[in-house]
Amino acid sequence: MIGEGSASMTQQQDPELLRLGVRAWLEQNVPRNWRAAMTGTGQDTFVRAQREWFARLVEAGYATPHWPAGWPGGGRSLAEQKVIYEEVARADAPRLILYFVALYHAACTLMEWGTPEQKGRYLPAIIQGDIWCQGFSEPNAGSDLASLRTRAELRGDRYVVNGQKTWSTMAQYADRCLLLVRTGASQPPQGGLTYLLLDMRSKGVSVRPIAQITGDDEFGEIFLDDVEIPIENRVGREGEGWAVAQSTLASERGLTLVELTQRMRCSLGRIAALMQERGCAGDQALRRDLGRLVAKVDAACALADRYLTKRISGEEAPGDASIVKLWYSRTLREFVALGLRISGLPGQYREDFTRGGSQETGNWAVDFMNSYNWTIAGGSDEIQRNIIAERMLGMPREPKTWTAP
Amino acid sequence: MSETLHQLRESARHVLAELGLAAAEPSTWDLVTELGWLLVAVPEELGGLGQGLSGACAFHTELGRGLASVPYASATLAIDAVCRIGAGRRADWVQRLTAGEYVCTPLSDSTQIARVAAGKLTLRGVASAVPSADKASHILVCSSAADCVALVPLDRAGVQLTYRPTWDSTRRLFDVHFTDVALDEPLMLARETDAQALCRALSIQRDLALAADSVGGAGALLERTVDYLQTRRQFARPLALFQALKHRCADLKTQLAAAEALLIGSLDRIGDSLDAPGAEAAAKAAKYLACSMYASLAEEALQLHGGIGMTVEHPCHLFLKRALLNQQLGRRPDCYEPDLADALLGGL
Repeated sequence: MIGEGSASMTQQQDPELLRLGVRAWLEQNVPRNWRAAMTGTGQDTFVRAQREWFARLVEAGYATPHWPAGWPGGGRSLAEQKVIYEEVARADAPRLILYFVALYHAACTLMEWGTPEQKGRYLPAIIQGDIWCQGFSEPNAGSDLASLRTRAELRGDRYVVNGQKTWSTMAQYADRCLLLVRTGASQPPQGGLTYLLLDMRSKGVSVRPIAQITGDDEFGEIFLDDVEIPIENRVGREGEGWAVAQSTLASERGLTLVELTQRMRCSLGRIAALMQERGCAGDQALRRDLGRLVAKVDAACALADRYLTKRISGEEAPGDASIVKLWYSRTLREFVALGLRISGLPGQYREDFTRGGSQETGNWAVDFMNSYNWTIAGGSDEIQRNIIAERMLGMPREPKTWTAP
Repeated sequence: MSETLHQLRESARHVLAELGLAAAEPSTWDLVTELGWLLVAVPEELGGLGQGLSGACAFHTELGRGLASVPYASATLAIDAVCRIGAGRRADWVQRLTAGEYVCTPLSDSTQIARVAAGKLTLRGVASAVPSADKASHILVCSSAADCVALVPLDRAGVQLTYRPTWDSTRRLFDVHFTDVALDEPLMLARETDAQALCRALSIQRDLALAADSVGGAGALLERTVDYLQTRRQFARPLALFQALKHRCADLKTQLAAAEALLIGSLDRIGDSLDAPGAEAAAKAAKYLACSMYASLAEEALQLHGGIGMTVEHPCHLFLKRALLNQQLGRRPDCYEPDLADALLGGL
């Protein structure tokens, strides 16, 4: 089964057999010393390494286990997908950051909403390495995404788009963008939105990287100045953009957190190693803090597992995903805060950071700063708390009667 | 969860709801024995329902929800112990204990020293946190050195019970003092390495029982708290409308879900192999997280209830007191976090 990538077969097998196969493959194929190679490197080198790693995974059929049967590597059950992610985490393989939007957001949205022409054009290109980015957030539409203002006007057979998008991961390297724009009035707020597919090489598109507090610039701003998008690049009907965007946001559906919680469990060893290195492995107060963290990390793994089990059995309830994300993000913050605390004064000295790792790379100051990605992006902790309170606990929604004084 | 267990659990929830929160011990105990709840984890070949540790924990959870005043955890630990002894004496004991004869088990570790005096094995010391010991025929004792596990009749000379009223009024705890009490050979359940394994198995089950009780109690209390916030109006609106309070409730719900997931995860991981490597750490993690979650959830719940939570007629305080006691039961409370760190550091 190793290297199996035939397009036609539905791959279903005993997850434990699959586990052995994936493990053996990873032992052979994870780039040796990739962490060292990706530390202190620029974006270009990282992008090259990501492309190579992606191609290897595609060849083995492990990049697209969540795609439907019929696609190379597709048709895996959730149980099988889970095994693959667990093994990838266990092997400490690089994360496919550059391809996340393409493999999940773009692919799942097109599978659900795309026309046959769109599917035929864009999905095979993803497998061949097309990089996608997301154009949802705007400077004045973060948590309140529905208030976005980038405007598209239909002129003949094309939309003309003007506006600005932000927080778009690796936008400077993207071939295409999932673009959410306003085409009509905002009543209700989610109305009047339309979903377009943008070729990043179109005239009028410019990208400016955002200088982040870590010294990295993995996110970018996208400026759209009279950009023309052919009407056949619209996904869904005009005004249906909000519904399409929901599919995009729901696309990874818990699997990422299976991977990330497993990676976090494996990374506990970094804190243990740090304690040895700092000569404080016997410190009782630190051992207590570490023990508390172990229980929380175990619970994060258990939550992600249970969420996936519920999805498999069709018992997922509104808010379940928010609970997993909120617990993960809070635990991650505690994890990196403990690492930073133990790393002491040396942890404050500026060191090169590692690209493409998990959230716990051992450069604790950078890990600490990056951990906000999980408490702010993808629905901030505050948004998750609203969802849990309103949809799970049945507490009332915010009144909409507020007016500016 | 099996279909059988799901049904058992639903009916337990229903029965306990009918009975009311923190119902009287005698009537609840009668129900527990009549409805066969003591048989849940007993293997089928011994006449039980064969639902294992997960089955027992489902009932601990439901009894925790209802703040039940029965010594169910204590009784089921003793039943589990007699299920594990040699076939010769087992059937008789299992039958007696599942029919309602109560043998109590301490819910905390304390000092009992078994030693040989005048050619006989005798016991000295005190067993603490023994629930409803005045209703029991025997006590299950693990010696501190874990070199023997025995049943001791409570009417034996040298055994003395002291009732220790706790703030938690849903439990009745006793100290059981032993002054050179001779141990009977026929009542000896395990010696040496067998005794160590049995002690470990009982500690694991005790941790999981306390975790399950805490998950059940916390779930019930959070529901009540949210209901209260929906009903109580101040500033011309329900308190539940304030985002500051919604977010606190969402955090409590998340902590509860995490503790519950960890408990279920630990139960899955342990399965029937209480002696498997990692079983002890899995139980400790579940106990630690669930009991600290219950205590902090109950602490928040009282604050969210405001003044009414400080009154005796509102049940908020019953949950808080049970939660605070749960945190102190089990192994020495301070050992859980360092032990989890040790398990990690040792396993690297």
